[in-house]
Amino acid sequence: MFKQFKLSAVALGLSALASAPAWSADEIIIGASIPLSGPLAGFGIYEKWGYETAVKDINKAGGITVDGKKMPVRLVIRDDKTDPSVTASNTETLIAREGVVAMLGSCTPALVNAGALVAERRKVPLVTACNPLMAFKAVRKWKYAWTIFFDEEDLASAPFKMMSDYGLSTNKKVAVLADNGPDGFVVGGRLWPQNAKAGGYDVVHTTLFPVDTQQFTSMITQAKAGNADVVLVDAIPPQAIALRKQMASAGLAPKLLVMEKGAEPEMFSQALGKLAEGVLVGGYWDPSFPYPGAADLAKRFASETGQTQSQHIADSHAAAQVLLDAIAAAGKLDREAINTAVAKTNKSYVVGLVKFDADNTSRIPITMMQWQSGKAVVVWPKDRATGKLMFPMPGGGN
Amino acid sequence: MSAIVSRAPVPAVPTASPSAQRLWPWATLPVLFIVLAASVPLLSDYGLEIAFRLLLLITLAEAWNLLAGYGGLVSLGTASFFGLGAYTLTKLLSDPSDSIILAMLAGGVVAALMALLVSRAVFRLRGLYFTVGTLALAEALRLFMVNYRGLGGASGLFLAVDPPAQREMVWLALGLLAFATLVVTLATATRFSILLRAVRDDEDAANQIGIRPFRIKLIAFLLASTLTGMAGALQALKVGTVEPYGTFGIQWTVAVLSVVIIGGQGLRLGPAVGAVFLVALSELLAEYPALQLALTGAILIGVIRLAPLGLVGLVQRLLARKKGGTR
Amino acid sequence: MWSFDVVANSVASGVLLGGMLALTALGLSISLGVMRLVNLAHGEFLVAGAYLAYYLLQVTGIDPILGLPLVGLALAALAWPLQQWLIAPLSNKGMEAPMMTMFGVSIILQNLYLLMFTADTRAIDTPYAARALHVGPVTVSAIYLIGFAISCVLLVSVHLLVSRTSFGRELRASSADPVAAAAMGVDVKRVHGLTFALGAACAAMGGVLMGTAFSFTPTTGATYLLISFAVVVLGGVGNIFGTLVAGISLGLLQSLAAMVLGDGYRDLVGLVIFLLALALRPQGIVAAKVR
Repeated sequence: MFKQFKLSAVALGLSALASAPAWSADEIIIGASIPLSGPLAGFGIYEKWGYETAVKDINKAGGITVDGKKMPVRLVIRDDKTDPSVTASNTETLIAREGVVAMLGSCTPALVNAGALVAERRKVPLVTACNPLMAFKAVRKWKYAWTIFFDEEDLASAPFKMMSDYGLSTNKKVAVLADNGPDGFVVGGRLWPQNAKAGGYDVVHTTLFPVDTQQFTSMITQAKAGNADVVLVDAIPPQAIALRKQMASAGLAPKLLVMEKGAEPEMFSQALGKLAEGVLVGGYWDPSFPYPGAADLAKRFASETGQTQSQHIADSHAAAQVLLDAIAAAGKLDREAINTAVAKTNKSYVVGLVKFDADNTSRIPITMMQWQSGKAVVVWPKDRATGKLMFPMPGGGN
Repeated sequence: MSAIVSRAPVPAVPTASPSAQRLWPWATLPVLFIVLAASVPLLSDYGLEIAFRLLLLITLAEAWNLLAGYGGLVSLGTASFFGLGAYTLTKLLSDPSDSIILAMLAGGVVAALMALLVSRAVFRLRGLYFTVGTLALAEALRLFMVNYRGLGGASGLFLAVDPPAQREMVWLALGLLAFATLVVTLATATRFSILLRAVRDDEDAANQIGIRPFRIKLIAFLLASTLTGMAGALQALKVGTVEPYGTFGIQWTVAVLSVVIIGGQGLRLGPAVGAVFLVALSELLAEYPALQLALTGAILIGVIRLAPLGLVGLVQRLLARKKGGTR
Repeated sequence: MWSFDVVANSVASGVLLGGMLALTALGLSISLGVMRLVNLAHGEFLVAGAYLAYYLLQVTGIDPILGLPLVGLALAALAWPLQQWLIAPLSNKGMEAPMMTMFGVSIILQNLYLLMFTADTRAIDTPYAARALHVGPVTVSAIYLIGFAISCVLLVSVHLLVSRTSFGRELRASSADPVAAAAMGVDVKRVHGLTFALGAACAAMGGVLMGTAFSFTPTTGATYLLISFAVVVLGGVGNIFGTLVAGISLGLLQSLAAMVLGDGYRDLVGLVIFLLALALRPQGIVAAKVR
């Protein structure tokens, strides 16, 4: 009888699931779900390197002493394909099947927050970079999730501060093109217009578009009609690349072009070649910064991968180190103890001082970087600059 | 319009007398559910994960099987009802004292309302136009949700309350499946199934003999969408956040479709067997999700060509042949 | 409310884009018209063409536009056995079976692309892809104009193929009445195979144009599938010039919608038009006539 067959099959299956998965009792397992493919793959590769390098370093030193025994750390990385629901389910399986004692975060608010929600509910500490503070705080009051990154307020005010610091002359007209994801919505929808108004600028056009938009014809046409000298864009790399190309083919050539998020990774400059020249992007790290190990990290990355460094190697490296230090400080594989240890972090890492406030955030200051001859050069503030600002940008201002 | 199988399948229930035949679902199913519910505390964390996924998938598959397998209405719009249920629950649950069950029911109701709204337009389309129409509808709804900021736009919404523990979630899923099983068993064991089959096989002829095809199709559509919406609500409760790409995305439609066709569409056991098979496959190939999906597609094609009644149909055929051989 | 510039640009880009949409929809229209096949993997054929042209450019340096015939032939060569092995054996099992089979094919192809090319967004990079042409107050993207011109040429070519050649005659006969055509000595199976191959070739070539003008990922095909359907339904199944007119109209409407509502609404408006067109049709399946 079919029902009997079904019953026995189900019973068999259930009994298999009743046994706990075999966890190795002599290694420390941490997990991370990051975008190794999909639109944010450009960030994922740096994150992976940053996380893995931190783990490699600590294992070279013998591992972490836990319960009196020195144990190696094993990092399990899953690809979440830039899909928040995959981040969530990856986090679930890493916790349930792999039995990770703590997690490292993904990249960009949508993904990080999806994973962090799962970790929070399962009471698993999660340390992340690549997640702006306001977007992080807007989700909920966190207990187990911790972020090390910049604040959107700093990011939004940076271009305006730079323009006033250097006395750049423009027609004071601004066009805003941002995606309607969590951070694009805040930066493009609220903060940029606020800062513009405060600085006496006139926002002639604002568009918030879906994150996966392919055609930008209409908003470019309208931005062009507004005749803005300053164009501020917030979009992920594929969209930023497409937008830059379509701007060029539509003849929209501003004096100052900022492309947040999208213009960060090397793939932006590689995909656009000459068109990337002069594009500005908010940055928070450069090998030249006076932080412990900064220059060495960049050199190591270049020699190990043969690629140009990106700031994302630094924040992810720091996040991983913070977690590993917390595990060492806790001295045992107890999630609560590790979480308490993370809260007490107060040390200088490769991104600067990391100390968490009551909202579980640790702020990194912002700089402005500009793509020049295929390299990202820090152009503001003056005391951090490694190059001179190109203004107006090539081909801009007509 | 006929489904992939042009003839109604003959259930391979063997020698029991007709009245016993009709009674055994009512006897064994409740026992089965009680046994399953009792065994939940025995499961490990990992087991609970798998159990929840499996139960939810079977619920969705039962609903789709009713609509497409028994009713011949091959819909590619599962995601829209799923998403509506998910968003509804997320919007409604704002306080820990709010009833989860009511929120789930609300999710089902909202999904049903959408089904009602589009039914008049969508049922004018026959066969493949119906299928493409539902696909377009699902995609249009997803795009609308991406753009409409009132419901969070691309960022979506976060659940204001903390979801219950894993064990409770599995019991909720089991409860939902029990409800779905009840609904589908009623639909398939009563006269309704005959009416549905008549409409599926030849709508115009059914009309001629006095059956109202629109009403029959609508009932099936409403039942299926309600169950799908409730499942979506439960998933939203589990994940704690909804957003258009994951919640209204086509991956749910693909999963359900694969489960039912591979399991055996139009057959009572098809959804369960198909779901177990696919969840097992996805766990085996957990490290290679793209490979798993590609393999699912290949199996789908193979099943359509070689075993149109799916795994259950295959087993039925083998058993029937064996019985025929021993006679 | 909107300046003349903005409107003029929207109209221009809409029309040009519409021409390209017509090409992408052509293959679907032919398949549906001749074989009653709903090719749910149509979008994936499009993307296949884009990937092929992308790697052709990278490896051999052949310009994607010049390489169009190559891409078309390659996809036709791949599509022919697909039809013979997967679709033809299902010819007596109704319309849902082939449709679901193509759905399975689409799942396989999407994930094959993921495995082979990763989910990274790609765009075929040519020097003219980002160049602007100024015609009076109107600025259009050079690639749009090129794409439009090529689409028109291809559409006309296919129309001539269908209306003037012996193959075209067999095609029309098979579509109108397969039984009678077979009785007259037409190898209907071969015609179906060639039709499917032709449809795939057109889709792939359309994909190359889209991949040059915009960007693509393994899953971009899904959007193009539905928009192509919209064009097919609006233009009349199997009606080639109808496809061109419908494509241009849809492109125009989408562009105007983007102007009024924002670029994000482009696809949504396209789908709404599609659903309206479906809903307002008379009941029953449209009598397909390949003209």
